[in-house]
Parts: sequence; structure tokens; C-alpha cells
Amino acid sequence: MEIVFQTMANGLLVGALYGLVALGFALLMGVMKFLNTAHGTFIILGGYLSYWLLELWGIDPFLSLPLVVMAMFLIGIVFYKLALSPLLKLPNIGMRINSSMLITFGSIWVLDNTMTVLWTPDVRSIMTSYTGQTLKLLGVRFSLTGLGGVGVAILVALVLYFILSGTYFGKHIRAATQDVVAASLCGINVQRTYLFSCGIAIALAGVAGMVVVSSYSISSTAGIGWLSSAFVVMVLAGEGNINAIIPAGMVLGLIESAGLLVMGVSYRQAIALIVFIIVLMIKPQGLFAKKEYGS
Amino acid sequence: MNWKKVSIFGVLVMGFLVPPLIWDLGTSVLNLLSMLFIYIILAQSWNLMGGYTGQINLGLAAFFGCGTLVTHFIWKAGVPFYLAMAAGGVAAMVLAVIIGLPTLRLKGMYFGIGTFALAEVCRIVVGGTFHRMLKMPSSYVASYSLISRYYVAFVVAALAVVVVYRVTHSKLGLGMVAVRDDETAAQVTGVNTFKCKVLALFISALLAGLAGGVFAYLRLSFHFIHMMFSPVWTFEPLMATIIGGAGTLAGPIIGSVFLVILSEIFALKLGEAHLIVFGFLFVLVVMYFPQGLVGSLDRIRPWFRRSWSRRAAREGQGKP
Repeated sequence: MEIVFQTMANGLLVGALYGLVALGFALLMGVMKFLNTAHGTFIILGGYLSYWLLELWGIDPFLSLPLVVMAMFLIGIVFYKLALSPLLKLPNIGMRINSSMLITFGSIWVLDNTMTVLWTPDVRSIMTSYTGQTLKLLGVRFSLTGLGGVGVAILVALVLYFILSGTYFGKHIRAATQDVVAASLCGINVQRTYLFSCGIAIALAGVAGMVVVSSYSISSTAGIGWLSSAFVVMVLAGEGNINAIIPAGMVLGLIESAGLLVMGVSYRQAIALIVFIIVLMIKPQGLFAKKEYGS
Repeated sequence: MNWKKVSIFGVLVMGFLVPPLIWDLGTSVLNLLSMLFIYIILAQSWNLMGGYTGQINLGLAAFFGCGTLVTHFIWKAGVPFYLAMAAGGVAAMVLAVIIGLPTLRLKGMYFGIGTFALAEVCRIVVGGTFHRMLKMPSSYVASYSLISRYYVAFVVAALAVVVVYRVTHSKLGLGMVAVRDDETAAQVTGVNTFKCKVLALFISALLAGLAGGVFAYLRLSFHFIHMMFSPVWTFEPLMATIIGGAGTLAGPIIGSVFLVILSEIFALKLGEAHLIVFGFLFVLVVMYFPQGLVGSLDRIRPWFRRSWSRRAAREGQGKP
């Protein structure tokens, strides 16, 4: 019985991380209709940033978070200007999704192999004084780095919720999502709104990278694996339903750990795919979808 | 199919069929050409789904790897190769059913992300299951001849081109193009869009599975079987199709030739880094030449024709 509780606890920790991984991806896809397949690669880039900040300057990964966020925000702005902004000229949303899928898929190869050339394909992880230490709560052990990851995930999700629902900038984003022409007629600078939201999305990838490198490990080509987790979480939450991303990640984490108990470790990814297919078959609008006002 | 196209196709076929019988082309050339044919099959497979039907497949590697794996095991069990290759194609189709039925009912990105996740899951699960190197028994290795590999690869590639031509010039092909151009409008005018997409996926997966079978025939041993599912097998055919021109018959062929020449130039000199160059090239083509090489040629051709006709007119005027 204890092993069941322990696996479930680990599932929750992993699930929060899945949610964090999917957050920036869902922001770009759900709000701006850019499908960023390079999101996993940006996560790895963020992981490398906090790895090198620790190795070279000795800054603790959780303290280096603001630096990583700022750096990744700038990278996101450059990425938007170079790769994504030309797509706004396309006539319809479907073409924008398809072209952004192709362009970011090409970017994966550029970024992945650049990282391989610069930093070798070695697997890297961070060792700090508290790595591997655990905290015992209600008879179940939680790793400290995992708990830190959950804390960061919830904090970041709350901040994003506040930005989207409580500020004028968030209103601009939502208005531009609903109707680009009407939004710009109302005096919203759509280009600048998109630019900043893309920066935020890539910065969220950086945060996820910091958590990944502190509790797990990164290698230059591991981004693709995290990306497919992000896909599954986004489908579970429902497209455009950003507030449900962290709960959806936790649901996926729990299902995966339940599957691990039954099937064994090597089929862990297959469980996520099965969940993905079942959700698409039964409830394609997502588990957490709310009723729309119109219907 | 008009006579001009048939004769061009026939000349190309003869050009690849006859020379190996007369001259000894050498191992490296035959190997390169066989790989070129495999790329052509994969690129045509991607083209049918991505170029004609407008459904971006980011997991072609899943179908290719499935074809390779199934062909390898069935052939090893003693079944004749041609049956084993067919089984590989059918296995890839079964895999396509699993991902195609749930995702193709929905519009937008679901097919792309579904196939991507499928390929990734296959890579990890297969990598976790097969730890040892796979190889054919030594009797197969002793009877290995590269020339038969060359011909099998060529025949399947020619078959793939003919199949894509026939499909795209049928009622199904018109439906596929209608789905690509405007899915809602196609639905309203009575096209069964789901059926079109699923049939296109079936044919596409069958071709990719056959390409995997050819690859299993070409390479008798695999050190890391999960590398068959590596995203490179998606990226390179995709790049060949887009650079050549998606949604055209000649595009994937021209693109594959271009890709194989490029990798000969870059892969030897740059190693891993050649994929950086490929990635940049791919992104630039998607952004600035979405019609690819074939589309650019089409844009240039009227300009040439005009200057030719002007010259012909001038010469005509000079004559008494």
C-alpha cells in the first residue's frame, strides 16, 4: 500500500512539471494560434542557461530564475521577430498553424544541433546541497527539488492567470485572440501584444527548463520528448484553456504513475499516447472544457 | 497521362534500369542511388498527405520504422522478402489507423501533434524493448548483392510515383485538394472530407512502410533499432518535399536529388552540424519560397517564353 501512495506522490510532482512544460506551449497555441514545436528545445535551452549559471558563477538554480526568465524573454522576442511574425500575413488561421508547425520544426534542427556542437551531447544535471534530500509528509517522501518545482509551477501559473485576467495587457491579448481586426480598430497594438506574449511563452519554457534540470537531467536532443508531453497535456486541458493546464498536467502525472505500477517503466510514454488518443476520441474539446456562452 | 509525360517517365526508367546491367557502377554509387530511391518514396508519401491533402505529418518516422521492423522480423522468420515487405506496409497502415481515426476527425493541429507523439512514443518504447543489435542470419549476408537492392528500391520508387500520380488524378485526388484548399467549403459541397483524409493517410502510410521494407532489405543489421524512429526520418523527406515543391509530382523527386547531393557535400565536412544548415535552409524555403523549386521554375517560365516569342517575332520580321 505504501508503494502505491509513494508512486502517486511522485506522479503529482511529475504532473506539476508536465503542466509547467505545457504552459508556454498552450499560451502560444491557444491564444495566438502559433504551434511551436520548438517549445521542448527552448525548455532545454533554459535548462542549459541555469546549468551554466550554476557551473560558472555558482548561482543556485532557484535563485537564477529571474535571470533565466529575462534571457529567455529576449530570446523569445528575437524568435518571434525572425520566425513567427512573417506568418501574420497569411490569409487564414489554418495556414498559420500549418506554416508555424513547419517553421518551428525546422528550428528544432537548427537549435538542437547548435546546442550539440556548442555543449556536446552529454547528459547533464545539477548537483546542489539539497539534491536528493527528501521531506516526509503523511508517511510519503517528497524530494525537495520536486516540491520546489511544484511551488514554481503553481506560482508561475498564478502569475500568468493574474496577467491574463487582471491587467490591460491580458485584456489586449484576449481581444486580439477573439478578433484581430476589431482589436486593432479599438486601438490595441496587436503586433506588440503578440511580441510580448511570445516572449512570455518562451520565458515560461525557460522556467520549465530550470525545473527540469534541477530535478531530472537534460541533453541537447531531449527537447522532443518534453514536447510530446506538452502536446498531451494541452489536449487534456482543451485548446485555449490555459487555467486548466496545471491540473491537466497533474492528472496526466497521476495516470502515468498508475500505469507504471501496472505495466512497468519502459511503456511510460505509451500510456501518455493512449491517454491522448482516448481523450481525442471521447472528448476532443478537453477534460476541463467549460461550456461556451454561445452554445 | 499524355504521351509527353509517358515518354519522359519511360526515358527516366530506362536511364536507371539499363546502366547497372552494362557497367559496374561501384558500391558507393549504388548505395547512394538506393538511398535516393528510399528518400523519393518517403517524400512522395509525405507529399500525398502534406502537399495534396494539407495535413502536416510530423511522424513519418513512425510508419517508416514500423515497416523496417516488421519486414526485418518476418523476413528473418523465413518468409520470402516480397511478402515480408508487403507485411511491413500493412503494419504501417495499421499504425496509421490508430493515430488517424481519432485525429483526422478534428481540424487544425491534431493530426500533426498526434503523429509527432506517435513517432516519439515508438522511438522510446522500441528503444526500451530491443536492447541488442538486430541482424539477419549469416546465410542472408552471404547471398547479399547490392544490385538486387538497387532494383527493388528503384521499382518501389517508380511504383510510388505512379501511385501518387494515379491517386491525385482521380476523384479522390480532387477531394484531397479540396480539403487542402478549404475544408469547410469542401464539406459544404458534399466532399466526404474525413474519408478523403483517411484514404490519403492509408496510401501514404503504405508507401512509407514499403520504404521501410526496402531499407530493411538494404541494411541487414541495425545497431540501434530505435534510430529507425528518429525524427531525422521525418525531417529529411519533409525537407525534400518542401524544397522541391509540395503538392506537385516532380517536387519530391527533385527535392530528394537535391537533398542527397547536399548531404554528400555537407555531411562529410560538417558531421552533426550539417543539420543546422539543413534546418536554416528549410525554414528559409518555408518562409520565402513556399512553392519550392518547382513553383519557382513555374514563375520563371512565362518570362522565358515571352523573351523567346519576342525573339522569334523579331526574326520573323527580318525575313522577306
